[in-house]
Amino acid sequence: MTVTGRMTPRAVSTAVALSITVLLALTAVLLVTAVRPIPDRVQDLSERLRCPVCKSVSVAESPSETATAMRQVVADQVAGGRTDAEVVDYFRARYGDWVLLDPPTAGATLAVWLVPAIAAALGVLVVLTRTRRRRDAPTPELPAPADRLVDSAVARARADLDDREDGL
Amino acid sequence: MTTAVPAAGFAGLMLGLAGSIVLAVMGLRAQRHPDAVRRRQLQAGVWCMLTGAVVAMVALEVALLSDNFAVSYVAETHSRATPLMFTVTSAWAALDGSLVLWALILAGYTAVVSRQVRGTADRLGTGALGVLGLVAAFFFGLIALAANPFTILADPPADGPGPNPILADHLMVAFHPPMLYLGFVGFTVPFAFAMSALLLREGGVDWLRRTRRSNLVAWSFLTGGVVLGAWWSYEVLGWGGYWAWDPVENAAFIPWLVATAFIHSAVVQVRRGMLQSWNFVLVLATFSLTILGTFLTRSSVVASVHSFSQSPIGPALLTFFVLVVAGGFALIVLRAERVASLTRPESLASREGVFLVNNLLLSLFAFVVLLGTTYPILVEALTGQQVSVGRPFFDRMAVPLSFALLLAMGVGPVTPYRQATASVMWVRLRLPLLAAAVGMAVTVLAGVRSPGVVAVVGIGIGIAASSARQLVVTAPSRTPAGILRLVRGQRGYWGGQLAHLGVALAAVVIAVSGGLAERATVTLDRGQSADFASYSVTFAVSEQHPQPDRLVTDAHILLRSGGEVVRIAEPRLNSFPSQPQAVGNPSVWSTPGQDIYVSLGSLTPDRVTLNLFRYPLMMWLWVAGGLMMVGGAWALSGRRRRDTSPTAPTRQITTVG
Repeated sequence: MTVTGRMTPRAVSTAVALSITVLLALTAVLLVTAVRPIPDRVQDLSERLRCPVCKSVSVAESPSETATAMRQVVADQVAGGRTDAEVVDYFRARYGDWVLLDPPTAGATLAVWLVPAIAAALGVLVVLTRTRRRRDAPTPELPAPADRLVDSAVARARADLDDREDGL
Repeated sequence: MTTAVPAAGFAGLMLGLAGSIVLAVMGLRAQRHPDAVRRRQLQAGVWCMLTGAVVAMVALEVALLSDNFAVSYVAETHSRATPLMFTVTSAWAALDGSLVLWALILAGYTAVVSRQVRGTADRLGTGALGVLGLVAAFFFGLIALAANPFTILADPPADGPGPNPILADHLMVAFHPPMLYLGFVGFTVPFAFAMSALLLREGGVDWLRRTRRSNLVAWSFLTGGVVLGAWWSYEVLGWGGYWAWDPVENAAFIPWLVATAFIHSAVVQVRRGMLQSWNFVLVLATFSLTILGTFLTRSSVVASVHSFSQSPIGPALLTFFVLVVAGGFALIVLRAERVASLTRPESLASREGVFLVNNLLLSLFAFVVLLGTTYPILVEALTGQQVSVGRPFFDRMAVPLSFALLLAMGVGPVTPYRQATASVMWVRLRLPLLAAAVGMAVTVLAGVRSPGVVAVVGIGIGIAASSARQLVVTAPSRTPAGILRLVRGQRGYWGGQLAHLGVALAAVVIAVSGGLAERATVTLDRGQSADFASYSVTFAVSEQHPQPDRLVTDAHILLRSGGEVVRIAEPRLNSFPSQPQAVGNPSVWSTPGQDIYVSLGSLTPDRVTLNLFRYPLMMWLWVAGGLMMVGGAWALSGRRRRDTSPTAPTRQITTVG
């Protein structure tokens, strides 16, 4: 590693660790104390509504006239002091649940949120059991001659690195 | 002449069908009784397939180029005014023709595989040819029975409607579909070898070694196809984005995720003998998801630019998908004992442990996207209720999964196999971590206040630094020649690192261009100006340019910076005589630092409504896609592994040195 003449490896390690900590702290402090712009509610709400005449695109993204008109309605309602839920319900009453690109965590679309969570939990469980189970069984040690053979083969392979066929 | 060409085309389809049936029967028979079949018989089948597919494709092109409106496909997708290039690309710009291209590519892959099967003693190879024949028989049969482009019309029209305007607008139609198909169809080869290995009751890594190339070829093309598709959508559709989580985009992205998982888990099996049955599951999933994706996009189950029309191929594709999944899983379960892995990872803190995490994340990602894509269809089928699952859902799922994947990508390639200790990891990761911390601090000091953007930039820099450190530390000498020797010696590893760099770059661009984007909608009278992102935007004039197949109306938008005109953006509207609605084309000004994207909301001679976007770094997303493809290509380049016998690894060790 990059060990300079003056510093021991341990000192280098400490210096790197310290620098990382200081830089991360600086980043965190600047991010936490940053003055965030007020969220654009019209944009956020438009992104959650489906454009009725387009393909998989939200009202915020579509250049179509229908979407432009809907954006205007959203802007008017936000300006009129309506809450997010009220605006969403307004469109829901007119177009049905279909208009919500962000599926609500209730009713027919509850499962689309629950199933990934269950799948993730199951997946983590499988990975953990597959690795844990074997820890109890000790790795069989190779007999000394075989071990030496392996060691010398490894040494030769390292020495002749680029003769090694693609390492996948 | 008007009937000879379609007749030849249909004859080609029939020849291909016959050839694939012969190959399926003979190949599977040869696997059971290697002496009962000669290699030449198999090759005859392959040649019939390939010749038939080529004849069909050529006939289709000839019919299109000679304005042969007696052919149903030409009458539906061509017009006399269509320019030459889009006439050529029309051959795959609609349902029937795209299936002909599919069959042609499948025949091509089969021909390549058959060259590697040197005799009928190679039972794994002959069985794989048999499975390829089965799949090809399905597709040739599907075209001939349900999607025949060569139907001869008794009363040919004088002219046709021309291709779908969106598919006759950009050079990309010549590249995106063929590339995507090369990817999609390519996964048939690993699938065929996997099924052949299962039929043989043979686990092991033989089928993995032999399909490594085709797998990487398919993956690289699919990557290119997906990225080109995103680019195309960005350049043409004019809604200001490149990815809408549209079912069609997802249909290509889901197999890509699973195939990526497969590439990684194949390494674990080849290196450590683990995940054997899991690899069978992944390769089956990849192949069946390409079929499911084709079903979703080509059967009008979902409305999209890719779903062409109502057609009987939907049920056929769905049936085939169900058969593949059921048959494949049944085979895996029947051979469960043979394909069970003997070893397991000792610890999660090891290379194989990180691979396992990578597989978990990629599979979850694929599952979530698949769920979100099919959920509205399932709900409607079951309850009749119409619901939507769109970008907010996908983003919320994709962001944490992508962060976890990026972290695994940074750590994995430098983690030792078997067992990693904290001290080793610290030595290997401290410099990348330092680089990441510096990068994050600089980004924040530069004024970026979005935590997500800062985090992605940091991780991206860390991944790049980790690769660079690995390159310098493991090179035989720290000279360009030494580094080149290393990169050429371990093509698999360094191809993978290159692809990782591409993914990291893509992540940074996605975060930066999304998080720091500026957008505005302005309405301007002629001569009027507005300010946008340090530019003064002026509507100068609107002009009409009649072209043979369309009327182009553009708006000249002047972008001024410091009083000087730096760019004239010309977003346009294309009106086609056969289409009621005009199709808009944005104007994209790409520079290495940023893209300025101008699309038309509405346009009259004296008034224009513009949607303006500024995306920082956008251009690098396409570069990132290129890097991934080059990484895949690098990994499969170089010397070919000739020896595939199970004893090869032992002999290799004894001959080294």
